[in-house]
Amino acid sequence: MKWIDFKAGFRDFWNEFKRVKFGLFGLILLFIFILAILINPYIVPFPEASSRWRDITYWEDNPVSAPPVWVNWFSSTKRATSLIIEEHAFSEEKIEKIKLSRAVFEYEYSYDLPPLDIIFHGYTIGSPVIMLSIERPDGHIIELVRRPISKSDGKEVRVSIGKDSRIESYNFGAKFENLEGNRIEREMVKPTSILFSEAKEGILVHPAPLKGTYKIIAEIILPSENDVVEDIYFTFSGGVSGWLGTDSSKRDIWSGVVAGVKWALLIGLLTALTAVSIGVTYGVMSAYLGGWKDSLMQRVFELFLGVPLLPVLIVMSAIFKPNIWIMILMMSSFFWVGPVKTVRSMGLQIKEETYIEAAHAFGASSSRIIFKHMIPILIPYSFASMALYVPRAIVYEASISLLGLGDSTIVTWGQILHDALTGGAVLNGLWWWVIPPGLFIALMGMTFAFIGFAMDKILHPKLRTR
Amino acid sequence: MYWKYCIKRIIYGFAIFIILIFIFSALFNTTMESTLRSQIEEEIRGETMRLDTRMTPEEVTNYIAERRKFKRRLYHLDKPILSRIVWRAINVLSLDFGKATIMRSSSGEADVWIIIAECLPRTVLLFTTAIFINIVLGLWLGLRKAQKAGGLMDKATSIGTMIVYGMPSWWLGMLVIMFFAYTIKIFPSGGLHSIPPPTGFAYYIDLLHHMTLPVLTLVLIGFWGSAFLIRNIMLGVLQEDYIMAARTRGIPERKVLYGHAMRTAAPPIVTMALLSLLASVGGNIIFEGIFSWPGLGNLYWIAIEQNDIPVLMGNLFITTALYIGGLVILDLIYGFLDPRIKVGGKQ
Amino acid sequence: MVDTDNVLKVENLKINFFTRKGVVYAVDDISFTLKKGETLGLVGESGCGKTTTVLGLMKMVPTPGEITGGRIFIDGKDVIPLSENKMRQKVRWEKISMVFQGAMNCLTPVYTIEKQMMETIQEHKNIDRLQAKKCIINYLNLVGLPEDIIRRYPHELSGGMKQRIVIATALFLEPKIVVCDEPTTALDVVVQAQIINLIKRLKKKLGLSVIFITHDLATEAEIADRLLVMYAGKLVEIGTNEQIYGKQELRHPYTEKLLKASPRLHEKVEELSFIPGTPPDLVDPPSGCRFHPRCLEAMERCKKDEPPLIEVEPEHRIACWRNYHE
Repeated sequence: MKWIDFKAGFRDFWNEFKRVKFGLFGLILLFIFILAILINPYIVPFPEASSRWRDITYWEDNPVSAPPVWVNWFSSTKRATSLIIEEHAFSEEKIEKIKLSRAVFEYEYSYDLPPLDIIFHGYTIGSPVIMLSIERPDGHIIELVRRPISKSDGKEVRVSIGKDSRIESYNFGAKFENLEGNRIEREMVKPTSILFSEAKEGILVHPAPLKGTYKIIAEIILPSENDVVEDIYFTFSGGVSGWLGTDSSKRDIWSGVVAGVKWALLIGLLTALTAVSIGVTYGVMSAYLGGWKDSLMQRVFELFLGVPLLPVLIVMSAIFKPNIWIMILMMSSFFWVGPVKTVRSMGLQIKEETYIEAAHAFGASSSRIIFKHMIPILIPYSFASMALYVPRAIVYEASISLLGLGDSTIVTWGQILHDALTGGAVLNGLWWWVIPPGLFIALMGMTFAFIGFAMDKILHPKLRTR
Repeated sequence: MYWKYCIKRIIYGFAIFIILIFIFSALFNTTMESTLRSQIEEEIRGETMRLDTRMTPEEVTNYIAERRKFKRRLYHLDKPILSRIVWRAINVLSLDFGKATIMRSSSGEADVWIIIAECLPRTVLLFTTAIFINIVLGLWLGLRKAQKAGGLMDKATSIGTMIVYGMPSWWLGMLVIMFFAYTIKIFPSGGLHSIPPPTGFAYYIDLLHHMTLPVLTLVLIGFWGSAFLIRNIMLGVLQEDYIMAARTRGIPERKVLYGHAMRTAAPPIVTMALLSLLASVGGNIIFEGIFSWPGLGNLYWIAIEQNDIPVLMGNLFITTALYIGGLVILDLIYGFLDPRIKVGGKQ
Repeated sequence: MVDTDNVLKVENLKINFFTRKGVVYAVDDISFTLKKGETLGLVGESGCGKTTTVLGLMKMVPTPGEITGGRIFIDGKDVIPLSENKMRQKVRWEKISMVFQGAMNCLTPVYTIEKQMMETIQEHKNIDRLQAKKCIINYLNLVGLPEDIIRRYPHELSGGMKQRIVIATALFLEPKIVVCDEPTTALDVVVQAQIINLIKRLKKKLGLSVIFITHDLATEAEIADRLLVMYAGKLVEIGTNEQIYGKQELRHPYTEKLLKASPRLHEKVEELSFIPGTPPDLVDPPSGCRFHPRCLEAMERCKKDEPPLIEVEPEHRIACWRNYHE
């Protein structure tokens, strides 16, 4: 087909398409998805979510199974938000050869429920000693952790106040609590809930939040010349975290879901493209060849048609454990049957047209007739078909992943849902884990449904109503 | 004419089924055989336990070797690979799927066929109910949409169709469960019936109670599509000349719509209904799993978790049989409803 | 005053189609009469409004069309103000029936012939099955079809058979007016002749008043008593067969062209003449006489004013300024 013809045909098609409002809406949604893939690193807090999905250290600082931050807008008890504080007031002292650095971080606490953990991060060379303490708005200063770092040439250091200051926090709280009659175990109380509560009776049992400005102080002793501590920051692991919360493995769900967009698009489009290409070519050839060749192709087609696809795919995945590319191949090798029937009848009709006869008379070869005359007419139908197959492929892959049979090296929405099921999300009401991945599947399905139905509407003017 | 058509279709169906069984048997042969071998070892071990303790170690070893050879021959494992495949395929056709490794039926049977046969009616019950409701609602809405085609309701409901098009039924099921079973606790979160199941009439009420959420989910997803398709089919028919001709002859609109139009639209509509039923035979493994509905789909899921290969295979074979059988029945019904096929061509 | 002579009288009929692109003036101010026992031929190009007019007579104009003006007297009574119900029960098929073009698709494919014909009879007449069946078979015989055809489905029958069934169905309620809309167009020549002869015979035997639409002037000549020539939604010439095929000077230029465009068997024809140009767009029709852009004899006046139907001979009217003499 000449490029000019193609452009002209495309322009006509586009003019028609513009008229169908929901088609445009679908196209806009598609662009948003594609945009999300392109700006992925900028819109998520954990850009390497895709490759490091199963790497625990990447997600260490997040809270476990925390709801999204905007939950705070709807509830009366506000939970602390997860955040990172890098800014600090820095001062240094030198006593003989020993350097004493002091970094003071300010933390505004105006919530009703305290953060779950406060984590110190730094990069150290040598063997410094790190001391963490907290200065509360009511003036109490509590020393929390004293951690000597083993000698190294340079490593990342992570100190969790929640884990390492149990004794200190408990002792502080015990000063104010009435312990008669009530034996409260140290393990029962979270350090942060003591640190951020009013210093009065009840501090251990039913604490009242002490709101105000807190200062988290990191004092670092650098005993020798070569000791260095730099890139200090604190992460606060809050009760709510991220746009879509976290799962039971502390992973930020928003990052995961956005990472899944590209896989969904890839799986959907690649499968649809391959399948429809095969199917249309098969149907046209079958129609064109006619006779016993047509009958044979039809019988083969019926054979493929008789396969209940999802169970077979699932059993094959269970036994052969394929990766994503093999899966796309498997899906394509069955999806192709879809367009064949329609394309074949359309092909038979076209074959009867006199211009085909004319082409024969001019000595045109079969492949030329098929590809230059018959297939171009079928292109609009092919595109409509493709659009409508994308959601199906995505749901199939999601189903296979949901059963735990998917490709575990990548993050797809189905994988996230699988984790949600095995992580007890439905039972524990962790709706932010269950709803978003499926919602995105539905949204992408909706996008392609809009596009596909719009194309379908243009193709069938007979069903126009005015 | 019609009989010829029927027989042709049935023969094709059989042929396809047999070919597919062979292909599956060949494809999964290694896996099934390794399971078989371990099962044989289990059996032999069990037999050895019950041996006379007075036998010498040598005799015991001989005995084991003998039993092994015997069983291997019994299961054709000593024959070349092709005849093994053939033998397995023939077994399948006679509904002998072997024994499950771990799973058991509710009566404790290990026979895979019994396990499957127990689950089959439950799947049929759930999905035929849902599809029936879908079709009834779809007819009601689709007809209305066709009559006022292009109107507000038509456009709005078409948007609804597109919204649920890519929505997995099992995801909606999860939402429905989270809302109706956990947030407002008015429906059970799954299962066929309460434990222990009530007797008599209460049993059926309990069953309906448990069926509500899954059927509700299926209908919520499904009826938009059927309304849309029915609308298109009816619209196509209503634009035909013979509809106008019937009106010109003074036939009342009711008869034109429900008689001439719908009767002509019946073959494609019935096709659509049966196809969605067939799709549910294949596609609802997760759906049943989410609702813990103990049907064929759920059986797959459990078999995968438990890695019970015989059950998995048996289920696959039955699913395929049902699927192909459904396609054949579809063709037969279509041919029956469309006089152009039933009665044939020109005289 | 009761008009006993005219079974049909159409006065100033206007039918418009309200489409997205604008209003289509499909039938613009048409008046004519049909006498009892007469056959009126309706000729014109495709799209000139013939079928729309007759559909209008039965008030079956498809959306987005509407009858926007005029009166239609069937058997003396104006049917335009009648409700749809009344129209369906009293007028359609009982007073006026239609033989469709290309009987290919006018029969519902899923019902037997018997069912469709029976349904039609029983809808209008209060008779039992047996009597109805007798009536059906009677008329089928009349059109030359055997009794057992009632058990067949439409797809089992040839085009000619189907056409006969459609004719029988149109007649068995014995309506006053029968409209035949190009009943022979889709049939091959031999069958065409058979059908034409059949219609002629029935016309005589049953004393039918017929409106016969065709674009084939040869057929028209054979079967019609009077002719109506339509162009672009307007009536341009009315006259008897002899008048129109007779004197050349007294014809409308369009009719002239139509006649010239069909070759004569007994004349030597060097070149087939044709009508230059294309039928006009009825959303924005030409000013004045609608034919003027294609008329070789157009005058100044033709572009400005629409010519009325001018009587050039008794019972022969032409809408052309050439025939206007002060």
